[in-house]
Amino acid sequence: MTNKNFSAAKGKERTFIFLMLLIPALNWLVFWLYVNISSFVLAFQNMRGEWSLTNFVTFWDQLTSPYGDTIGLALKNTLLYFANNLLIIFPVSVIISYFFYKHILFYKGFRIIFFLPAIISGVAMVGVYYAFIQPTGPLGAICDWLGIEYTDSLLNSPMTATPTILVYCIWTGFSTNVILASSAMSRIPTEVLEAAKLEGCGPFRELVQIVLPLTWSTLNTLLVFILTGVFNASGPILLFMPDGGSETTTISFWIFKQVYGNGALGGTKNYGLVSCAGLCFTAVGVPVILFIRKLFEKIPGVEY
Amino acid sequence: MKAKKSEESSVLFKRSKIEKVIFAIVFVVFAAYAVSLVFPFLWLIVNSFQDKIAYQVNAATGRPFALPEKIVWDNYIYAFKELSYNGSNIFGMFFNSVWYTLLRVGGAVLMSSCTGYIISKYKFKLNGFIYAVIIFSMTVPTVGTTGAMFKLVDDTLHIYNTPLYVLLHYLTGTGMNFLVMYGFFKNVSWNYAEAAFIDGAGHFRVFVHIMLPQAKMVMLTLAIISGITAWNEYMDVLLYLPDFPTIASGMYGVSRTLPRSGNTPAYYAALVISIIPVLVLFSCFSDTIMKNFSVGGLKG
Repeated sequence: MTNKNFSAAKGKERTFIFLMLLIPALNWLVFWLYVNISSFVLAFQNMRGEWSLTNFVTFWDQLTSPYGDTIGLALKNTLLYFANNLLIIFPVSVIISYFFYKHILFYKGFRIIFFLPAIISGVAMVGVYYAFIQPTGPLGAICDWLGIEYTDSLLNSPMTATPTILVYCIWTGFSTNVILASSAMSRIPTEVLEAAKLEGCGPFRELVQIVLPLTWSTLNTLLVFILTGVFNASGPILLFMPDGGSETTTISFWIFKQVYGNGALGGTKNYGLVSCAGLCFTAVGVPVILFIRKLFEKIPGVEY
Repeated sequence: MKAKKSEESSVLFKRSKIEKVIFAIVFVVFAAYAVSLVFPFLWLIVNSFQDKIAYQVNAATGRPFALPEKIVWDNYIYAFKELSYNGSNIFGMFFNSVWYTLLRVGGAVLMSSCTGYIISKYKFKLNGFIYAVIIFSMTVPTVGTTGAMFKLVDDTLHIYNTPLYVLLHYLTGTGMNFLVMYGFFKNVSWNYAEAAFIDGAGHFRVFVHIMLPQAKMVMLTLAIISGITAWNEYMDVLLYLPDFPTIASGMYGVSRTLPRSGNTPAYYAALVISIIPVLVLFSCFSDTIMKNFSVGGLKG
């Protein structure tokens, strides 16, 4: 190929790369980079658009105030949802995946049924769950049958509302994790497990010492996604308690509430305060996540 | 078939007595959980045929499991003919769901195929940088940008409450879709492309006629999964497209009014209608989803 032909071919390649990346790049620049920069700027502006630190003062007041549906309460609930995801839903998903991988009886049917919450609308799932837990619904009838007094809905009390939504999250939370973890397990060479089995390896040891290390690359990715979503962790608060009542509010719901419908749910439409809260949580979250990711990278994955 | 049989009879699936007990206990737990997922929907379907007065009487007298004395189709007729939210009846909501889902999924899957293909197959100066930026955007927790996004959509781009919002916002080549497509194209042989280049094909032709057909099943899986997510999305629609209620956001709106007006069975009928399309889609493509998640899914 002559130099001229070579540079013409290179030019065509560059044009192709440019055109292929043009739209996604513009999309990223506008809807990610610009939005993040704009959010940063908004954090330092008051509602009239003047430079101010007033959002930080309000943020701190709301974070530390023990009264009302504040950012402090939202943070507490968000961390509960995060712990729920990390310490209950994720480990149980891995255990379920292991039993699917080991072909427990009717595993193909279970796999499809367990995936249902991922395909059925949250609105329908919550609708069913809500109807079920009412004192006049099936839960009320079961309590009545067991002789337990249950007259006021679990969602009406701050003591029980968030735990009730957490239980809903567990009930519907395994679907996608199970599919991803069990597909990672399906790639484990069976010879490895056969050899371990012949050596007398039991199911617990098999899971902990063979399956987990061999699927670590996938589990690691899933864990990073859970950690990344630490301050976005939430349940479907809007569907259970549209005003965030019974102390159920979370950070992501609090943000939604501030922005939605010019304060239709009782929000302030104070975008600056929303951005300020986001900036503070991001500032805390980023170093922690990066540190944990570094720690994860130190755990050796197994190539096979 | 033979291979499957030998796999089933391999030492891997033979269990000791203790293991058999563990598996039996786990089976019972799984079965109970499966029942807990299926039974409420059967209850929902049964009560969608219940007379509204009978439903209230049953609820008040502690008989929520009571079967309908007669099947009442009026709830479904009501859901189809009279139910509405923000000016849209159920057919309007379905129509909004269809275009919202198609625009959102079409843009995202196509763009992530473009970025996945370019970053995995072409070596150029910014390649590593772009990959790092995409991963950074995905794994760094940014919180609270909704206010800035709303300002951008409403005040700057003026696409609030228009279908253009969906088209522009979801032309994204990043995220999980990118990871899957990147992983797929990374493992596709470059030999066919080289042969096509020798025969005089251009880059675009190779991408459209050689690479995309190979990625058809992975793209279909991504489209189905993203499609189900988009179909069920309600917060995005409530926030940015309030005048275009989809079946999910519409059901949210209806859930705030219909049960309170004493017509809960009609609300249940509407819920049943709303979940039928995704159930049909999933039952048609469940094998494709499960299989392709194994092939093209998360491989870290």
